[in-house]
Amino acid sequence: MDRRSFIKLTAVTGTSAALASCGNPENQIIRFLPGEDIVPGVAVWKPGVCPLCRAGCGLTVRVMDADADVLRNGQAGVVRVSAAKKLEGAPEHPVNSGGLCPRGQAGIQITYHPDRVTQPLKRSGSRGDGRYDAISWDDAIGEVVSRLNALEAAGNQKSLACLARGGANHRDVLIRQFLARFGAPMPVTYELFGDEVLRRANALSFGREQLPTFDLANARHVLSFGADLLGTWNSPVAQSVGYGQMRRGRPGIRGSFVQVESRMSQTGANADEWVPIRPGTEGVLAMGLAHLIMAEKLLPVPSASSAVRLLAGWNEGLADYSPQRVEEITGVPAVRLARLARRFVEGSPAVAIAAGPALAHTNGIFTALAVNALNTLAGNIDRPGGISFTPQLDVAAAVKAPAPGAPPAPALAQWSAALASGSMTEVLFVDGANPVFTAPPAWRVRDGLDKVAYIVSFGSFLDETSVMADLILPDHSFLESWMEAVPESGAHTSVASVAPAVMRPLYDTRAMPDLLLDIGSRLQRPLELPWKSFEEMLAASFGALPPATPDVDAWTDAQGKGMWSGTLPAALARQSIVAANAPAVAQTYEEPRFDGEASEYPFHFLPYPSSTFFDGSLAHLPWLQEMPDPMTSAMWSSWIEINPRTAAKLGLGEGDVVEIASTQGAIRGPVVITPGIAPDVVAMPVGQGHRFFTRYASGRGANPMEIVAPLAEPVTGALAWAATRVRVSRVGPPDGRLILFAGGMREHVEQER
Amino acid sequence: MLVAVCVGVLATGLACRYVQSNAPTSATTKELPPLPGQPAGVFTTARPTFGAAVNDFLNRRPDAQQPIEFPHNTHVGKGVMCEFCHEGVDKGPVAGIPGLRTCMICHDAIATDRPRIQQMAAMRDKGIDLAWQRVYGFANEDHVKFNHAPHIRAKVECSTCHGNVAQQTVAQRNVEHTMGFCVNCHNERKASIDCLTCHF
Repeated sequence: MDRRSFIKLTAVTGTSAALASCGNPENQIIRFLPGEDIVPGVAVWKPGVCPLCRAGCGLTVRVMDADADVLRNGQAGVVRVSAAKKLEGAPEHPVNSGGLCPRGQAGIQITYHPDRVTQPLKRSGSRGDGRYDAISWDDAIGEVVSRLNALEAAGNQKSLACLARGGANHRDVLIRQFLARFGAPMPVTYELFGDEVLRRANALSFGREQLPTFDLANARHVLSFGADLLGTWNSPVAQSVGYGQMRRGRPGIRGSFVQVESRMSQTGANADEWVPIRPGTEGVLAMGLAHLIMAEKLLPVPSASSAVRLLAGWNEGLADYSPQRVEEITGVPAVRLARLARRFVEGSPAVAIAAGPALAHTNGIFTALAVNALNTLAGNIDRPGGISFTPQLDVAAAVKAPAPGAPPAPALAQWSAALASGSMTEVLFVDGANPVFTAPPAWRVRDGLDKVAYIVSFGSFLDETSVMADLILPDHSFLESWMEAVPESGAHTSVASVAPAVMRPLYDTRAMPDLLLDIGSRLQRPLELPWKSFEEMLAASFGALPPATPDVDAWTDAQGKGMWSGTLPAALARQSIVAANAPAVAQTYEEPRFDGEASEYPFHFLPYPSSTFFDGSLAHLPWLQEMPDPMTSAMWSSWIEINPRTAAKLGLGEGDVVEIASTQGAIRGPVVITPGIAPDVVAMPVGQGHRFFTRYASGRGANPMEIVAPLAEPVTGALAWAATRVRVSRVGPPDGRLILFAGGMREHVEQER
Repeated sequence: MLVAVCVGVLATGLACRYVQSNAPTSATTKELPPLPGQPAGVFTTARPTFGAAVNDFLNRRPDAQQPIEFPHNTHVGKGVMCEFCHEGVDKGPVAGIPGLRTCMICHDAIATDRPRIQQMAAMRDKGIDLAWQRVYGFANEDHVKFNHAPHIRAKVECSTCHGNVAQQTVAQRNVEHTMGFCVNCHNERKASIDCLTCHF
């Protein structure tokens, strides 16, 4: 282009642009009167509670004026509101000490999500197609009340069921009270990565059915069996803070860290030593270490503790777990075993942690008991640098509503099987759980739900489970209502978090606990729940606690700080439920069972919690979709991790599309070749592959749970989600469905050329 | 030919508004029917029209169109202090443009016979506020942060930056807030002229 035509082009473009920008009046905006007094431009920080996982981290929320789009009396307009704008960790909170994980940071998008359910909805299409009509709150509540009254009139109260997230918090106690007073069974709870195996093992070993708290800050050596303690497991922020202290918080002391697992996790990538191991044999390695320590008399041997008596052959020095046999079973060389044992002893206080895939096998309870015994051998229980159990508030005791004597709820697998075969749940409440997405297909949860006459969901979004609902009564977002949590782990003192709403509800939604209380009072036979509102229940609970600050009552103090923390009176501490079906005989190693013959399905399949979406419940947040995975840099997609040697054998290149098939079905996805995985294992993050979950997650990637077999750990009945075998076959070349962070993607494209 | 290129450029600019993320999604994607009551738009940083983008780029702002011809002169003449209505001015960065509720603090009792005041009372009863438009203010691209409160504490007169409002009805932008304007005053008053005082 010559100079003359460049100038001409500039002139013409400029003129066209100027013309285009003329005659463009801004739309006349309707502005509604604000409902609150706001000082513009001034930020206020208010306490909050993060609800995205069970850790119960405290938040501090930046609240400032903003214009919100609203609909009032059918008229669209804007209104000035004080709106939450940023979430940070609460600096004084005993769990997270000011930290907040990326999932928590992205939680702000829940409130402002464009696909939020903004008002009560009634199904207008067929079940599962997502067509809904608006309905008023009065009509909606009227429908629920008449359904419940009909059950009552027929003497059929047992036909009300509830599917909930569980957790020993106030919301859970309220749901239980509602159901018990109505005469319905306790809620069915299900969490894919739910740690039941570890809780049960702790009940057997230590008499505490609870997740442990690790004093990483004072430990000098950490040996982790599959626990993604810095990423997704238990209380990751608390553990990361402790880990930072362990590594570089003490002048002259740098704690060491060994990770044992078959696929390198984000946590494994931080370890000094990464020990690949055959899936399901982690307990044998722990026993092998204990054997060596006892044989070489490196530590005094405890024998009185119940934690060690649970393991067969303990008093004989675990002769069955000689280094040679451990090498045969686990694939970890005897020399390495000896070095690990020495490291564990010399690094005192050294703590062992087992969680995640290590316990997601049919022999998970043995692995957990073995690691508990190793910790007992190291003298770790209740000492600095070891393991302790946080005294947990018993909410039912605090609100003086003793645990109802109703029969315990069935596990999800049994419940949905009973539904599918025509059992009698007629009305179902769904609160937050999404088992249609996270349960293995063989449990047939969707078919079971199809048999329920009337489903009510309290969800803020349409997901695979709530799209089955006949009525959606949307809850407030967690920033718009009272929030609370009773952390099970992560803090060394007892802690209970509570925070009032940080902003007014943006839409025509109602807080689920208050709605339950309202429904309970409108029934033909009112349930007479002892509280008029959820706030009243929280006040009763926190009012029963001893003051944490002199001269201020615990309730007022807790609202200001966002939590109560202190010494829990014995009467208010949660007592452990003694495990009913404790194994009578001492445990020995049994080979893990896997679904699928090794000859036909040569690979172990490991679906693991995604560092961004956890179990998939956060896939609707675009910030998390666009966050590159720390190990592969993949984003906005699903991927399948395969060892380079295996890839070479199968003729696979990076990004090639493969099909992985189990006895349950097949899914497709792109390959990421990574050396951080054993050659006989293929891994895939859980979280993508939603069919119905907002515009950002629907139809993106594949859901690995669709091919997971329904094997269970026999003592707890928990899903053994790492016990499926698969075969891998190439489908085609890269087709663009794998999206890596920019740098990686560019290199990849150039290689292809 | 050139015209064709220009039309192409404009068409591309307009078309870009409608293009969604091109990340591939699997064939199972089903178009979700919209739910009743859901907000129509998604907040983005994009401009609503190509023209708005051009105006924004050239830092051209249309003159503010106010919903009513508010008489600053009358109010100042009656001795109402600026901060009585612009109540954020000594509290934080933003002085704030008062809403209808602030008006009605006085006008529930004063001048209630005027049609304009009666109209405002009716709006208040319907829950509708006055949609004032901003007169002053910096564009984001200026990367400057202004905070009213310290200026009030330093006893800078409102009129220094906003002109003689006592002679205006609706406020006019008749003082240009250039960097030189700010720096001159900071120099005269020996206030900090460190870059980070305003650009942070």
